[in-house]
This record gives sequence, structure tokens and C-alpha cells, in this order.
Amino acid sequence: MLLLTCPNCGNRNVSEFRFGGELSSRPKDPSALSSTEWANYLYMRNNVMDAQTEWWHHNAGCGLWFLAERHTRTNEVIKTYPYAKRNA
Amino acid sequence: MWRSHELKKRYDVVIIGGGAHGLACAYYLAEEHGITDVAILEKSYIGAGGSGRNTAIVRSNYLTPEGVRFYDESVKLYEQLSDDLNFNVMFSQRGHLTLAHTDGGVNTMRRRAEVNQIEGVDSRLIWPDEIKRLCPYLDVSDHPRYPILAALYHPPGGIIRHDAVVWGYAHQADVRGAHIHQNTEVTGIKVKKGKVTGVETTRGRIKTGTVLNATAGWASTITTMVDIKLPLTTIPLQACVTEPLKPFLDVVVVSGSLHVYISQTDRGELVMGASVDPFSSYSMAGSLTFLEGIAGHVLELFPALSNVRILRQWAGICEMPPDYSPIMGFTPVNGFLIDVGWGTYGFKASPIAGKTLAELIATDKTPDLIAPFRLSRFEENDLVGEKGAASVGH
Amino acid sequence: MRTEHDILITPNRLHPKGGEVIDRTTTIRFTFDGVEYTAHPGDTVASALTAAGVQVLSRSFKYHRPRGLLCCSGHCPNCLVQIGDEPNVRACTRPVEAGMEVRAQNVWPSLNRDLLSLTQLGSRFMPVGFYYKTFIRPQKLWPLYEHTLRHIAGLGEVHIDTPLGEFDKQYLHTDVVVAGGGPAGIGAALAAAEAGAQVLLFDENPTLGGHLRFTVPMDSSSPPEASKNLPELLEAVNHQPNITVFTDTSVLGWYQDHWLCAVKGTRLFKIRTKSVIVATGAYEVPLIFDNNDLPGVMLGSAVQRLVHLFGVLPGKQVVIVTANEDGWDVAADLQSLGVNVGAIVEERESNACSSPYRDGLINAGVPVFYRHIIVEALGSNAVRGAKITRIDEHGEISPKTTQSLHCDLIVTSMGWTPATELAYMAGGKSEYNEERAEIIPVSTPPGIYVVGRASGTHALDSQIAEAQQIGTAAAAFVGFGEVDGLTAHSPDISKPRRTSERVCVPGNKKRFVCYCEDVTDEDVQTAIAEGYDSIELLKRYSTISMGPCQGAMCSMNTIHLCAHANSSTIQETGTTTARPPTTPVTLGALAGQNMEPVQTTPIHQWHLDHGADMMVAGFWLRPNHYGDPASEAMGVRERAGLIDVSPLGKLQLTGPGVPELLERIYTNQWKNLPVGRVRYGVMCNDEGVVLNDGVCAHLNDETWYMTTTSTGATPIFEWLQWWLQSGWGEGIHLTDLTDAYSAFNLAGPQSRAVLEKLTDRNLTNKAFPYMRVRSAKVADVPCRLLRIGFTGELSYEVHCPSAYALHIWEALMDAGREFGIAPFGVEAQRILRLEKAHIIVGQDTDAMSDPLSANMAWAVKLDKPDFLGKPSLMRISTEGPKQLLVGFKMVDSDVVPDEGLQIVEPDADGRLTITGWVTSSRFSPTLAEAIGLCWLPPELASQDGAPFTIRIDGNLVEARVHHDAFYDPDGERLRM
Repeated sequence: MLLLTCPNCGNRNVSEFRFGGELSSRPKDPSALSSTEWANYLYMRNNVMDAQTEWWHHNAGCGLWFLAERHTRTNEVIKTYPYAKRNA
Repeated sequence: MWRSHELKKRYDVVIIGGGAHGLACAYYLAEEHGITDVAILEKSYIGAGGSGRNTAIVRSNYLTPEGVRFYDESVKLYEQLSDDLNFNVMFSQRGHLTLAHTDGGVNTMRRRAEVNQIEGVDSRLIWPDEIKRLCPYLDVSDHPRYPILAALYHPPGGIIRHDAVVWGYAHQADVRGAHIHQNTEVTGIKVKKGKVTGVETTRGRIKTGTVLNATAGWASTITTMVDIKLPLTTIPLQACVTEPLKPFLDVVVVSGSLHVYISQTDRGELVMGASVDPFSSYSMAGSLTFLEGIAGHVLELFPALSNVRILRQWAGICEMPPDYSPIMGFTPVNGFLIDVGWGTYGFKASPIAGKTLAELIATDKTPDLIAPFRLSRFEENDLVGEKGAASVGH
Repeated sequence: MRTEHDILITPNRLHPKGGEVIDRTTTIRFTFDGVEYTAHPGDTVASALTAAGVQVLSRSFKYHRPRGLLCCSGHCPNCLVQIGDEPNVRACTRPVEAGMEVRAQNVWPSLNRDLLSLTQLGSRFMPVGFYYKTFIRPQKLWPLYEHTLRHIAGLGEVHIDTPLGEFDKQYLHTDVVVAGGGPAGIGAALAAAEAGAQVLLFDENPTLGGHLRFTVPMDSSSPPEASKNLPELLEAVNHQPNITVFTDTSVLGWYQDHWLCAVKGTRLFKIRTKSVIVATGAYEVPLIFDNNDLPGVMLGSAVQRLVHLFGVLPGKQVVIVTANEDGWDVAADLQSLGVNVGAIVEERESNACSSPYRDGLINAGVPVFYRHIIVEALGSNAVRGAKITRIDEHGEISPKTTQSLHCDLIVTSMGWTPATELAYMAGGKSEYNEERAEIIPVSTPPGIYVVGRASGTHALDSQIAEAQQIGTAAAAFVGFGEVDGLTAHSPDISKPRRTSERVCVPGNKKRFVCYCEDVTDEDVQTAIAEGYDSIELLKRYSTISMGPCQGAMCSMNTIHLCAHANSSTIQETGTTTARPPTTPVTLGALAGQNMEPVQTTPIHQWHLDHGADMMVAGFWLRPNHYGDPASEAMGVRERAGLIDVSPLGKLQLTGPGVPELLERIYTNQWKNLPVGRVRYGVMCNDEGVVLNDGVCAHLNDETWYMTTTSTGATPIFEWLQWWLQSGWGEGIHLTDLTDAYSAFNLAGPQSRAVLEKLTDRNLTNKAFPYMRVRSAKVADVPCRLLRIGFTGELSYEVHCPSAYALHIWEALMDAGREFGIAPFGVEAQRILRLEKAHIIVGQDTDAMSDPLSANMAWAVKLDKPDFLGKPSLMRISTEGPKQLLVGFKMVDSDVVPDEGLQIVEPDADGRLTITGWVTSSRFSPTLAEAIGLCWLPPELASQDGAPFTIRIDGNLVEARVHHDAFYDPDGERLRM
């Protein structure tokens, strides 16, 4: 079973976490978007077979939503970090 | 059954993906439209992807009229497929039961049964007495956690030999002149002025004006070559099989609440699968969590099976669209067509997907049957309501 | 010594000797196909039957040919039997127990006279994949053929009344797992443990020792000082506190991040380790020749197991077929036990043989046929002889030189294939080693090591040396000692124990590659010729390696045949993917104890004591009704009722940022909600789909109290956490009080009178009006009171600390007795809310429904700034909904259409078009008529009273759109 490192709690079985999908950000001003742009935000995904930055929630633990970089072909977790440190 | 060929410099049509969909499309292109200058490019062996990894259930008892009509046509094609392909695909219409464990579940099954009947598909709601008659090994007692309240019974549903479908289509496509290229991976797609002009592969370049992406599971990795994003997330779907047992389970049994579907093959093995994995991945490694979960759920339904042994587990990958319906047809790139978004319901659509896409390629028009599944539905805010069933989709 | 009686009933039992695992002082009895046999404790089912002279244990899958012991190690399918209600038991590894009822599987009418074996007479019409090419036309007959095929197939039986067994699971954590307790595994475990690592050592056999248990280490290549004997190794393991041994335990699979699974009987182990040493040995490879499946053709290691562990030899006259020193070892071993070795058939020239036993055997008069090979096993149900022939100077079989040898046991020792599934599951890579004619691992991921025969190292002294090195390296990898540069393994392949590359001897009878599926070498050739020429396609078409042995017996031979037919190399041909489990495992063990959770409220026992009919609702058990839901509903309308709504999600939000958050997550307005007020709200996702609904109360300046639907409690909590943690959380604290608080809805015109008896709070309509929240002591317990009305009556939702829940519930029931209070369940609530046309998210809406279409436009404020779903809802608002949720009444007021029925419009030909469907329906006891909610096209839904038809039992039944709430449309009763 995959191990994930919760930034608060450390290494845990992936069964303690909920997957939250690839990282995407809600547009700052949705009213400025065309309906196509809005549909792209809602539905379109990169869905890479490569390193992917994605959301995880430690739902059986501390409740933290954090980011992981994981290779989607091997499931190798490259790193995990809090959302606040995403640009670090 | 099929021959090896040198890669030609150009083909009229290039189909990426040597699964049941791509091969069916090649067959119908030749059989119904006389288009035979077709290459099927498969990065591995034919049927290596979802076509050879699914649990081979065929049914048409969907929730939306669009879905029902589409899959009903597929079932009809499957019914005559052995004859058409001169290859016994062993379609076994043993009947298909979808169990309901809650009042809400019963209502959803009734909703499906009614839609099915109105669309002319044999499907009805049945109660525990009849369930027990059809499937004596099911525990229909007053179970505390997942009582079996009713089931959607779909007599034409059943199982098939999935590899045979792949091989049968491959053989007949080959006979009609299509070139099946195994171990040939697409590395790039050439687009000029918004139109496809060629494909680059690990074995060389091909000129073509028409490319069909039939690589469900990996569709995003191909489509990104023409700078198109798709509304897809690729997630593993796992299955397992037991040692052979004397026949005792005639029907296919599905429980959405328990995320399990189970059938017994003609060889006596129980084949079972669950819902998709809890996180996205292209990995086909399989997990112990899946085995533990499915074993528990199967024993909820069939307590007599606790001594039955699992022989093998495997995984395939599925790409899930937001509305649990496929995405078929034209894209913003001229000549680049898609047959993607097949989630967990792709294999059962192979004949009709191949047939309708062949028609689309030959006529340059979208057949009515697949118009609801066009890519543009997402920006048109016209999604298909199949997600409304909100139950495991097998 | 054995008596004459012993000899009569167990003719194949040898005289006692050291090393046996059976207790000859005790005799137990069991039956096989109804015939009674004896056994000793320690015997396996197969060893006991073999002792008694039973050779045929099963019939083959396709041709129903007689099959007997082949591998004797739990891998091949030949000894699969039914024991009691357990199907497909490997008789060669299952310990026999007194009274066991063992039966042959898939035979008709009996094991010894199986008429289905006649199928092989037609076998030339049934080549590989014949079913793909037959029964095609007429298609109508296929179900008939299939019925027959189905009943010929299958192995063991599942009895319908088999009780659910008892199973459990155990978690283990360690530094190093060693899979396989042979000399290599023991050595590696010792080395790792000595370095300080915690080691778990697993072996599938009852005791450690691997092949040392049944082979005498008389191998010349192992100098005595290097080959520690087994007792010494076991002693060392016993004295090593860092090693924990699990026998009778198979390691089933490697999963990501060194997560292993093992099984011991009914217990499943889940193991998190830092390193894995694969010491799982090797499978002995069968030779393919005419009738090679005849009972009495066995692998060398199988015979040694039988002889040494159980004192059993299934023959009197043995022919040994070999191409390496192992065959000579077996010959010498048998010879030393007084067994008549009739001949050694050696593929190599005499000068290639370096066995130290050669001279001894020859001097003892054992005939040796150098440069010979077996071409056929003679006999019908058992071996009666062996036909052998000479190999000519080109390496070809020369038919002219065949001769027959009389024998009743043919032992083949043709080589090995490493059992490295675990290493491959972990991502190990392999290469074909021509020197050894074995596919051996050449690289493994960090932390995975392979040792012993699994890595291609056969000689005992090399295994011990390699084990020391690997064990030390694994310990260093997990932090004990220095890494010495060894990354994976270094198999010792220098020893001249070459395995034969010849896997198949041509002939004119059936030669089986795959015993599980009855696939012959001709089948393999045919399949490849037809185009199934890659190993994966070949496997799928021929079903080779897909049966109970999972390739243990056939994979290596198949790869050889495939490579040969394609004129390609073994390396190019490759292997199929190794998939868990390495050995079949029961569903019971995988499932463990049933741990499907249900949640109950603090009032659960009270409900049961008062006759509640409980229903499953999500994870909760809730009272559906207490006997008569219609009267429960009428009780609420006329007097007072009490319902346990504790499963509601209850979230507390505090901080200055809360109003802004609520504005964003609900579709309506919140900033203007004063303290003391409650408001209903709908939550959407950005697609504009309704996620949840509920009320939110403004408790004080910075504190808000939100309720969600019961199934929404956890998802909405996680959803809010996400928005709070991804940018919208400044100045907000979120606390989940779902379990901490319980909640009851006290509803009905008398509810104020009831509650007044228990609280000092002024409950008058003026002091505590509709849609207000108050803190109050109820029955001396501080509670939150929400005056809201899902049921359509004056009602108070009492939220209290769960510890006091039962106290308050009982106090309310006591206080209400004089007013005729009664508990009501979910069903009555559904009736009551439907009379008010209140929707239930998830029943009246689905995963595609938006609030504008769901008749809740009043709760959507498109003119407020951005909120979740706004752009999507704006678009729906502009384009107009495609369907609307609306109330309806039946024209025939007694007909209640079931929920899920379709609304249809017939055309002139009577063809139906679906225009909508019924989401909710009940017979209203208050109105005495059938009412409901349904989805309809907007043009229809917008006309109050518009007629439409519902398809009920295939008939079209008329209903009419009804716009207002069915009951008290002005909501006066809520505001009383």
C-alpha cells in the first residue's frame, strides 16, 4: 500500500487519506470568463502520465488538505507539502 | 489470424489503439464503407489494454434513453457477432441482476427498468423470491447491513469472451486489408493549419489525414499531442478471478452499494470486479486493499464462498468523464477524431462504437446515435445524465 | 518394523527412518471417495493415499485424463481434491485429519471410471481454442452447447449451505521480511538479524529448512565445513531474538512501498517492512514427452519429499530421467534407501557428468543410458514402463533406437526455474541465463533482494555465502551497518549444475505443457502458427499458465516453446507479468472478520424497545417507523411527534470570516442574517449541481451553527475544510459536532406546550418566532433550539450534547404524554415533508440537478457577488432549465405511482417518449389523496394543473401539475 507523508503527521498508509484530484485553481474572477473558459475550468484535466501535483486530505487523521507530487505511472510520491508552501 | 506488415508511408485512416474499439472500427470501415487502407497502431499486443482486462459483462440496462439506445444496438451487434466474424465470441446471455439494498436503490432500479422497457429493452424490477430462484446462492435473508430488497433483472445481459472479440475483429479487419501493427507506439501527431497530416511512431512516420484516438485509458496522453485537453481522469479498475468451480452461478450479479460484480465463466472461474480505485493512476499494479474489499463484499452476498480461493488479480485503467458517458467524434483539430472517455463501460460498447465511428469517418457526419456523446457537449452545458444512476457501472 | 497388515494396507510405506514428519505410533482414518484409508499424524492427504497405493487423485480439466502426484509441493493441479465443503484443496500439502471426507473433483461418474475422458477420443476435433472455431452456426444452438461445456468444466464444488468460516487479520511491522525458510532464507535472516535488524521469516511448509528437509546435502560441490546442517541452522534461528518465524505461511504478494501480504490458514498478515529478501526457491521443471501426465511420472524433488518426509515411495522400480547432477542425487538417495533404481536415463554424454555418485551407482549395477532421453511413459492409468531413445550426434531424437524399460515410477530431474514472483511484483528485472538455462533476476528495486535458488544459486555452500552477504546488505539498507556496495544480488552461477535446455521430446501421443488446462506442445505450436505468437497472446489464447498453478509448472517450458517456434531467443520472448497472489488464497482470509460499520444514535436502544422498524440510511440505522407511519404523520399534524434526527451533520463555524464564507458556499444571502436567526440554504458545486441543503443559525456575533443532510455530514465537512484551507479560511474555525450533538425534532401544534414544561425560556411566538435559534436549558441540560419546520408544523429542533440525549428524549416523551405525543420515523417524515413539497437532496435531485431546475430559484441569489456555482447557474438562468422539479396530484387519487416511474408522451402510433420521472410519491393521509414530485419539461411544469401521463405497470395514468405545497401552502401552521 502506498505511503503518503502528511506534512503534519508523517508517513501513513494511503488508506488514511482521500484523493482530491489534480491541482487546479478556481478562477479569481469567474464573471470575466467566457462560457468556454468556465467549462474548461470545470471539466478539462491535464491527466498526465507523469509527475502530477494533486490534492490529498488526511481525513482519517489531522484533516489537512495538502499537495503531493506523484508520478501517475509508478505512483512514486516525489514530495508532499502544505498548500501554503506551493510556491516555495 | 492476422499478418505482420511493413509500416506504409501513408494510410487513408490511422487508428491509434489496437483494442476492441479500434479493431471494430477498422472492420466496419472495410465491411460497410469499403475503406481498407487503414493502419491500426498498437503500442503493445492487440487487446493489451482495457479490452483484455475487463470483466466481459455486456448489458444495455442504462439510465438515460441515449445510453439505453446506444448499448442496445451494441447488444444486438454482439448477438450476431460470432456469425459476422466467423469466430465464436461465446456471448452468453445469462441474465444480469443489479441488486438494490436501500429504498433509494430500489427507486433507481425502478427508474432504470422503466426507461429500459420504454426503449424496448428487456429489464424489470424483481423481488427477493425471484432473485433467490435465479441465484440460489445469494443471501436474501434479513441481513442487517446490506439487505437485498430488490433487483433490476435484465435477461439479455451476460458475459462474453473478451479476447475473442478482439481477435475476431482483428482477423476480419486483416482479411479485408487493414494493417495491424503491434509493438508500434505513437510518439507524435503532425498538425498543419488545424488539420492532421501525419503520425510519428516508434517504427517511422505515416502520412494521413484521418486519425482516430481509440486509446481509452491513455487517451489524454495521445490527445495532448494535438494540444487538446479532455475532461478525463485516468483511474485504475481492478478485478480478480477464482479457481475453477462446478457451475453454480448462472446470472451476473452486481451490487452498486457493495461495489462488486461477479459472474461465473464457462470454465467455472468466478470473475469479479469492483469500482474504480480511490485515486487516479496509470499504474496497473493492483492493490491488496482491493482484494480485501472485494472478498468482504462478495461474502456479504455469497456467504458460502468463504473457502473459495482467489487465483489472480489484475488491473486495467479507465478514464472517467464527468457525466459517465463516452466522448466520441470530432475535435477542434480537423481530421483528429476521438473515441475516449470509456470509463468502466467501454468494452460492452465495442461493436457499436466501431460501427458508428466508421460511419462518421466514411461520411464525415456524426451518426444520431452518438451525437449526445460529442466533445462539445461540455462547453455547451449539455451533459448526458448517466451519472444520475450513481451506482457502479458494470 | 512394519507388519504384514501394514504392508497390505499401505504397500508404499517404507520402513521408518530419521527425518520423517509422521508419527507412526498413531494411526488415524479418513475416506477418499467413500473408501476408508489410514494415515499417521503428519501425513498429508496425498502422502497417506500414496502410501495406500492410490495413484490417481484427479482427472484433468479438459480431457479428464487420470492424474497423480507430480510436484508434491502444492503447486501443480494434479492433486486438487474436495475436502468436506472446501473445494480445490491441494492434497499434497494439506495435513490429513481423522475423519476427513476427501472426494475427487469433476469426475463422472467416478474417479476411476470417468466417462468424460471419452472427450479425448475427439481431441483432434478439439485443438487449442477449438471453441472459438466451433458452435458458431446456428447461433441459436450456442446456449445448448454452452450448457454442456459449462457442466464439463469446473473443478471443486461449492455447497450452498457452507457456513461462513471464521477468519481474522494481523498487522506486522518489521525491518526485513525473508520469504522462504530454506538454507538461503535462514542464512539471510540470520545475517540480517545479527546486524541488528528485526526479521520476520516466512515459510509455507510446516517447518523451516526448505529442501534440506528432504535432501541429504551430499553435493560434492558443498564442502562439509561450509554446509551447515539443518539442525544447526534451526538452532541458530531459535537463539536469535531478532527473528520471528512464521511457518505454514505463504507470502502472497508484494504491493507498493514494501507492503506484503501473507496467509496462514484462516489468518491474513499485512506486513509493512523496509526490505524484502526473496528466498522462495525454485520450481522443478517437468519434461514434455508422450504421456508425460501419466500417474507415476513425478519430479525428482517430489519423490524426495515423499520418501524423506512421509516414508512413502509410489513405486518399486524407478527410472530416473535427468540432464544434471540433481537426477544422480535422487538416484543415489533412493538407492541408499534400498529402492531398486532400474535405470538412469541421462541426456548428457558420460564425460559431462560430474556426479560424485556416478561410480557408486554404476558399481551397484544401476544401468545408465547416456545420451538418451525418454520419449513416452507407457501405461494406461499408471506407469508400466518407459520408452527411451538415443540422441544422435546432431542432438536429434532417433526413433530407430527406442527401447522400453519396465518400471512403475518415472522420475524426471531436468532443471529448475526460479520462483521469483515476489521480486518481479516489486519491479525486479530478469534475464535469460544460457549457462543455467534459467531466467534469473538481474536487478531489483531498492530494498528487494533475491537469494538462493530464486536467484539462480543452487549449490548449498554458495547459497550460504550468498545469504550471509544479502542478509548483511538488507540490514545495512534498513540502517544496521554499512552498505557494502551490494545493490541487488550476485547469484553464483559458476557451479556446473547446468539445466537442460531441452524441454520437449517429440512423439505421437499427447505431451502436456500445461497440466491445469490440458494444453499440449502441439496446441502451443498451433496457436503460434495462427498468429498468437507473443507470449501474452499465447497465454490468453491457449489459457496456458492461467489455471491453478499460475504458471509454476508451465511458464518456463512455454517460453522455450514459444521462442523456438518464433525462432527468437528466450530473452526476446520474455515472460508474462507476475500477479498476486503467489498461491491461491481464500476469500474468507482476504475478507477477515466482517467489519462493515453501522452507526447508531444514543436513542437506538429506546427505538428498539419501542418497536421501531430500523432501516439502513447511509452508515446509520434509523427508525423507519414504529408500526404505522400514516398515523405517526397524523399525530404530528394533530398533536405532537418526536423524531430522532441525530444523524444530521452539525458543523460549528466561528470567526469574523464566517459570513463571507457562507456567502460563497451557499447560493443565497447570509451577511444580512442577524444574530438569533436561522436560514435555509442550498450548497452547489461549481457545476451548479446541488450538493447539499440544510439550515444555518447565527448563534452569536462570530458563531454559526450549520446542519447538513446525514449522508452529507462527512463530505460537506471535508469540502468546507478544503475551501478553508485553500484560501477562504482566514479568520474561521470549523468544528464537526455531528457526533458530539444529538438532535430531535419536536413537531406538531402541541409542541410548544410540550417544550414549555421542560424549559424556562419564553417560547411564545413573539419571543421565539419561526426561523429563530435560542439557547435554552431543556430538562436542565443546555441545548440549542432551532424553530424550523421540515414537517410543515410548528416545530422545534432540539440540539443537545449526545451524553444527555436519551435523558432529553425521555423527558420530552414524558412531558408530551398528556398531549398525546408519539415518536415518528423516517417514513412519516417523508410523508409530512412531501405534503409540504419540500425536496430531499439525493432523492428528488441527483448528481446532475441544479437548484434553479429543482424549483428552488427562491434560494438562489444570482445578483450577489461570486459564489460556488454562480457562473453555471447564470447560464442555466439565461438559457432556461431543461427540466423542472414540480409537484403533482393523481387524477385518480387512490393510485400512488411508485418512485422512479417515467412520465411519457405517446405519439400517434403509441410510441412513448420519456419527458420526466417521478422522484417522490406517497398517499397523503392528511389530504387523503396521492401526491408527489416529478421532473417535467418546463413548458408543462410551468402550468398549474397541466395534465400529463405516468406509465404505471405499462398503463398510462393521468396526473396533474400542482404548484403550491399540498398542505398549508401559506405556511401558517409553521408560524403559529
